[in-house]
Amino acid sequence: MAGSGAILARKRRTLILLLAPLTLMLSVFFLIPLSIMVIYSFLEPGLYGGVEWNWYPYNYGRILGWPLNDFETFEVIYLKIFLNSAQIAVMTVIVTFLLSYPAAFWVSRMTGARKNLALFLITLPFFANMLVRIYAWLLLLRPTGFFNTILQSTGLIAEPLNLLFTNFSVIIGMVYILTPFMFLPIYASVEKLDYSLVRASQDLGANPIQTFRRVILPLTAPGIIGGSVIVFIPALGNFIVPAFLGGSKVQMTGNLIERSFLQSRDWPFGAALALLIMAFVVILVMFQISRQNRAAERGIA
Amino acid sequence: MNMIKYLKSGVAIAASVMAMTSIASAEGSLNLYNWGEYINPEIIEDFSKEFDVDVTLDTYSTNEEMLARIQAGATGYDLVWPSVHMHDIMQKLNLLQPTNVNQMPGFENIDPSALRSKEDPKAEYCLPYAWGAVGIFYNKEMIPELTSWQQFFDYAAANPGKVTMLDDLRETLGVGLILNGASVNSSDKDEITAAEEFILKQKPNIGAFRYDIIPLVTAGDMAASHYYVGAVLNANQSPDKLGFVIPEEGATMYQEDICMLKTAPNTANALKFLEFMMRPDVSAKNTERLTNGSVNTAAIALLPDELKNHPAVNPPAEMRAKLQIFDDLGKSLRLYTRAWDRVKTN
Repeated sequence: MAGSGAILARKRRTLILLLAPLTLMLSVFFLIPLSIMVIYSFLEPGLYGGVEWNWYPYNYGRILGWPLNDFETFEVIYLKIFLNSAQIAVMTVIVTFLLSYPAAFWVSRMTGARKNLALFLITLPFFANMLVRIYAWLLLLRPTGFFNTILQSTGLIAEPLNLLFTNFSVIIGMVYILTPFMFLPIYASVEKLDYSLVRASQDLGANPIQTFRRVILPLTAPGIIGGSVIVFIPALGNFIVPAFLGGSKVQMTGNLIERSFLQSRDWPFGAALALLIMAFVVILVMFQISRQNRAAERGIA
Repeated sequence: MNMIKYLKSGVAIAASVMAMTSIASAEGSLNLYNWGEYINPEIIEDFSKEFDVDVTLDTYSTNEEMLARIQAGATGYDLVWPSVHMHDIMQKLNLLQPTNVNQMPGFENIDPSALRSKEDPKAEYCLPYAWGAVGIFYNKEMIPELTSWQQFFDYAAANPGKVTMLDDLRETLGVGLILNGASVNSSDKDEITAAEEFILKQKPNIGAFRYDIIPLVTAGDMAASHYYVGAVLNANQSPDKLGFVIPEEGATMYQEDICMLKTAPNTANALKFLEFMMRPDVSAKNTERLTNGSVNTAAIALLPDELKNHPAVNPPAEMRAKLQIFDDLGKSLRLYTRAWDRVKTN
């Protein structure tokens, strides 16, 4: 008996030792900055950046409508920016999904060197700096750029289209940089898909749509959900793409946060905005996890 | 083309800075913290050779970024280049130290009207560096001659999406204030609201709020852009195609001063640098690269004609009178930030 106790204790020690670096890193680089942000979001903005150490919950009031004082007024624009960002992020998720899902099946059916090449090509864009790649899109989409020149020379359009500095160009940029993040998790679950189950459903008389809806889709759902989450979150907070390809006319919450810190010198407001986004994302993920858990329990029952 | 030019000049700066830092037997060092692309690299090289000093150059892109870094305790820098209102702020925050630059030889060359700081009216702390107007950079193939903001917005109304304005709340709301006849330093809620409504009315016609527009105007993607006088460098390279104008209704202007930080480790070299910068030939060489207004009256005579006679680089007195410089607004800045949030969102 004493022997197994010693083994358990040793196992625990090893576990603590193995987890210590990660725990230390997370607490130093995540929890401490996060606490600073929480504290700052309830303080008064300093005149030249920084904060005054006075209790000031009104930063949230500006965004949410409560609490307010004489200086701060509720402005619905901040919620509007937030909704607009969420909309762009959802569009990004949908488009990356539509691109990645069929491609994942295609790649998973490849063999040997071709498959490795395809996977390599999908991760290839990461080798170049993101700003350079976004700038390239600017050159492609501008009025004298590649697409407009081609369309004009083939006679399809007379005047160059306004592709740049629109919601459209922002979504293109987002889809472009985030597609690998959707593809890889989906590919992982498609790769694991057990085709004997697909054949079984066909043998049992399911038509292709039923097979897809009742067998293939549920089996690849974890990949879709995982991909959606890791595309949605960076899309929601992105500020480089709207600044470059949206011409700062398309505005997302990330741009507003950046401006609060750098132009408006209102750090607490920026912190409050960032925390609200984080809260929203956490709630969304929690909701998804609890739904998955319930679904899993139903599955067991 | 322009991208390549910028990349090349960036590489050149990096290379020259590296060359300088590799001088092992230098007398000492000097650490500069300046805006990006805001000093002629040859000047740093000349100074470094003449005084045998190791010079390093770090850059920032906004006053706020620089202030935030200095406030957060960044040390090691000797000289910084704040705009005049930021110079005032930094002096109030006790981040600067006196240099008595006004007692140095060469100070007689400095235009007295360039002593714009409210906190430092006699230049006991900082040396005026350069100034410039913020006007309109335009493509002459699309607009043969541009003279006014009115024409700029009329063109935009007829050709939506073909003009840009700066992504800067005070500059762009400032244009609204100027066109309504108000001061760009107004703290009057109604005046700021009127400026906000003006810009908001133009917004559907404005292609983008953006800084990096030189390649777009040069290629003809944009016809005209609200931009700094530094674009004269490009306009003078192809004067038939590109132009820069200070609109006749008036415009904003900027000025930067060179200031010595309280924490400066190399004060002796920093003072030498200030004196060096006041030499007319050095100042002129710098202006040739920056293509903006000179604060050194003796240097203006040394400038090439296309700069000396350029109405945007060296504006006549009646045009200078229409240029407004930004003051520090203190708490009233929030009126602008909120107006700008609404302009950006609605």
